[in-house]
Amino acid sequence: MPEIAIQTQKLTRRFGKLLAVDAIDLQVTAGQFFGFLGPNGAGKSTTIKMLTGLLAPTSGSMQLLGQDFATHPVEVKRQIGVVPEGMGLFERLTGSEYLHFIGRMYGLDRATTRRRSDELLEFMRLADRPKTMVADYSHGMQKKLALAAAVIHGPRILFLDEPFEGVDALAAGALKSLLGRMTERGTTIFLTSHVLEIVERLCSHVAIIHKGRLVAHGSLEELRAGISDEEGNKTLEQIFVSIVGQDGTERPQLEELSWLM
Amino acid sequence: MADVAESTGILEQIRLVAGLRWRILRNSLRKKNNRLDLIGLILAGILSSVLVLGLCFAFYAGAYAFVSSGRSSWMALLFWGIFLFWQVFPVLVAGFGANFEFRTLLRFPLSLSAFYIIGLAYGIADFSAIASLCWLLSMSIGAGVAKPGVLPAMLLVVCVFALFNVTLERLIGSWLERLLSRRRTRELFFALFVLSMISLNFVTPLLNRYGAAARPMILHALPYFAWFPPSLAGRAIAAVAQLQPTGFLLGSAGLLFYVLLFSVLLWRRFAAQYHGEELSETATPVHAGVRPVRREDDTADGLGLLSPQVAAVVRKEFRYLTRNSFAFLTLLMPPLLVLLFSSQFAGRHPSIGGTGVSTEMFFPGIMAYLILILMAPAYNSFAYEGRGIQIYFTAPLHFRQVFLGKNLMLVSVLTVEIALSIGMLTYRVGLPSAHMLLATIAAIIFTVVGQLTIANWSSLNFPRKLEFGQMRGQRQSGMAVLVAFGSQILMGGISAVILFSGRWTGNPWFPAEAFAFLAAAALGGYFASLDALTHLAEKKKETLIEALCR
Repeated sequence: MPEIAIQTQKLTRRFGKLLAVDAIDLQVTAGQFFGFLGPNGAGKSTTIKMLTGLLAPTSGSMQLLGQDFATHPVEVKRQIGVVPEGMGLFERLTGSEYLHFIGRMYGLDRATTRRRSDELLEFMRLADRPKTMVADYSHGMQKKLALAAAVIHGPRILFLDEPFEGVDALAAGALKSLLGRMTERGTTIFLTSHVLEIVERLCSHVAIIHKGRLVAHGSLEELRAGISDEEGNKTLEQIFVSIVGQDGTERPQLEELSWLM
Repeated sequence: MADVAESTGILEQIRLVAGLRWRILRNSLRKKNNRLDLIGLILAGILSSVLVLGLCFAFYAGAYAFVSSGRSSWMALLFWGIFLFWQVFPVLVAGFGANFEFRTLLRFPLSLSAFYIIGLAYGIADFSAIASLCWLLSMSIGAGVAKPGVLPAMLLVVCVFALFNVTLERLIGSWLERLLSRRRTRELFFALFVLSMISLNFVTPLLNRYGAAARPMILHALPYFAWFPPSLAGRAIAAVAQLQPTGFLLGSAGLLFYVLLFSVLLWRRFAAQYHGEELSETATPVHAGVRPVRREDDTADGLGLLSPQVAAVVRKEFRYLTRNSFAFLTLLMPPLLVLLFSSQFAGRHPSIGGTGVSTEMFFPGIMAYLILILMAPAYNSFAYEGRGIQIYFTAPLHFRQVFLGKNLMLVSVLTVEIALSIGMLTYRVGLPSAHMLLATIAAIIFTVVGQLTIANWSSLNFPRKLEFGQMRGQRQSGMAVLVAFGSQILMGGISAVILFSGRWTGNPWFPAEAFAFLAAAALGGYFASLDALTHLAEKKKETLIEALCR
């Protein structure tokens, strides 16, 4: 039986009266490239924050790699990597110093940390600015650094929130192949992105959250099969729109902007 | 095809910019949930109005008195006052940043001349400009009432003087904008600004010592000031009052020369902005040539005894300290303060009634003052973490390790600062008796460690994000300030009672023994508190992240 990397039971989070995540039951098998989708404000970030220890659930439970997060937080955190919302960078360190800091925070020895950080800086094409502080990096460079920091300790589960946003095409290509190789070697990748083409190309399994509830969950084939359609081969975007757009929300009428056309 | 709007006239654009500034002010008021802030703003507005109106009377009376008494050349003094306020005040508030970046107007379809005129109009809407214009008007009325014949020339000179001031103010503003657009220079600017404010304390002692010697040099330099615009304006008015048209023409021509000179410079600055001058802080692209990564962590730094996480936090805190120019330069303060106070109050250099404070009292007193200053940042110790705070919650560590790292760094800084200050004290006023020295050192350990526990608790409960090199909106949480104040008073009170108890009991070593006991108890309490603080951090993490990731 395949190992379960992420499992949640009735995971719920309230902010006052707002029910941001409503009792979701999620299961991700180890080694899966898992896409977590939803429209703006659906509850994606809240779910990731709970799964990475940044937010406490109001109720429900979650296990990562078989360990309960509530009772073994340090052991669980040791095995996961995350790019938090806003990237979580210390802006007054250089890229190298930041990776060194993160490596040591994850308990790596100094030699290993240094070797890995050098390799990651080279891979992310950040090595040519050794003295530049993170505050002076461009957005794309900061994103690459945050990604490097998320993998420096060799995590078994990697949480990525919009990983390719602002990343140049060269680095994005290299990053995709890196992530692909990581999944081949058993790393589970939990990814959110609004670029559905990327999710469709990379992810084997997808879950869609809408208004805090999990409205679809399964492999891409299973999701396609779940939608009645004569033409058959639907894209992920079409699947997404057909699932999320079922709540009667009307699209704005283009006729109202006639002066622009 | 889409409709394209027709271009707007300059006057309409000025009106729109004025309306925009007003709307920004209104919206900023609406955002303030805290009524005290609003009340403070209203009070500040009332006080400013009273100040401006009061000075209007003063300028009116001054101009009237000078012109009517035949001392119209003294009008230059009034022009100097207005000139200094108009130019210096905006520089002082530059640290608080502008609400609206004037350059954003460039994305609208404006010609360079329109951009220039709007820029000047924008400058007239500043508080310093409005106040100065009120005072210039009051001066004109005062001079006109005293001698009606002076009024037309006065109005002409005032207009040129106002144009000169607004041009220069905008020019300095645009230079400052360019200077402050770089993070490093911005931080240095603020650090130097704060240091210069502190160094004002040295003016009185320096004047006492060197004032008499400097007076002839100042008198010698005074004639050169006659060629500056405020003096030229004053001379022009004096010439009119004394019916000397040549003097008036010369003064006015000099003033016009300055207006022309600064207008050309301002035009060049605005033209550079108009043509897309880049002030962004993002580094310019470089060739992706491979340079070796700096191996700065190769050398051992003596942190090997600590756990990797604690050592990582200590290193990070040290780098943050050295890269926060403001905090780094303010570390110069304690020895400077010791120098200042020792030259005014104590020991061998008494200046108060020839007696001065005894070393036995001065030493613990100055140490208490230094602890008061140096411990203050500990009450909001996550202030500069920004979004990085999330790492402490996603990394596999116990939060006590974060506190240990931060506290260790602070204690190291305190140790160096106190050692430097003791060195300075020894040089200036000498050391106190052995029992007082030991008692004070034990008291320092007690108050610092005791405060660290409370400060850590305060940092978790009342976090407030602060930005490097910025002064605008850089306020600590009111509760954190209250907690800091309360605990400092408590610790200071306990320490004072124990220090005096040595006299009351007749046993000079009693305070040292009592403080040693209290220091040990404080250390025990500190380590016992770390686990409780770790649990508290878990409870407070959402508040902490929300406050620091804004």
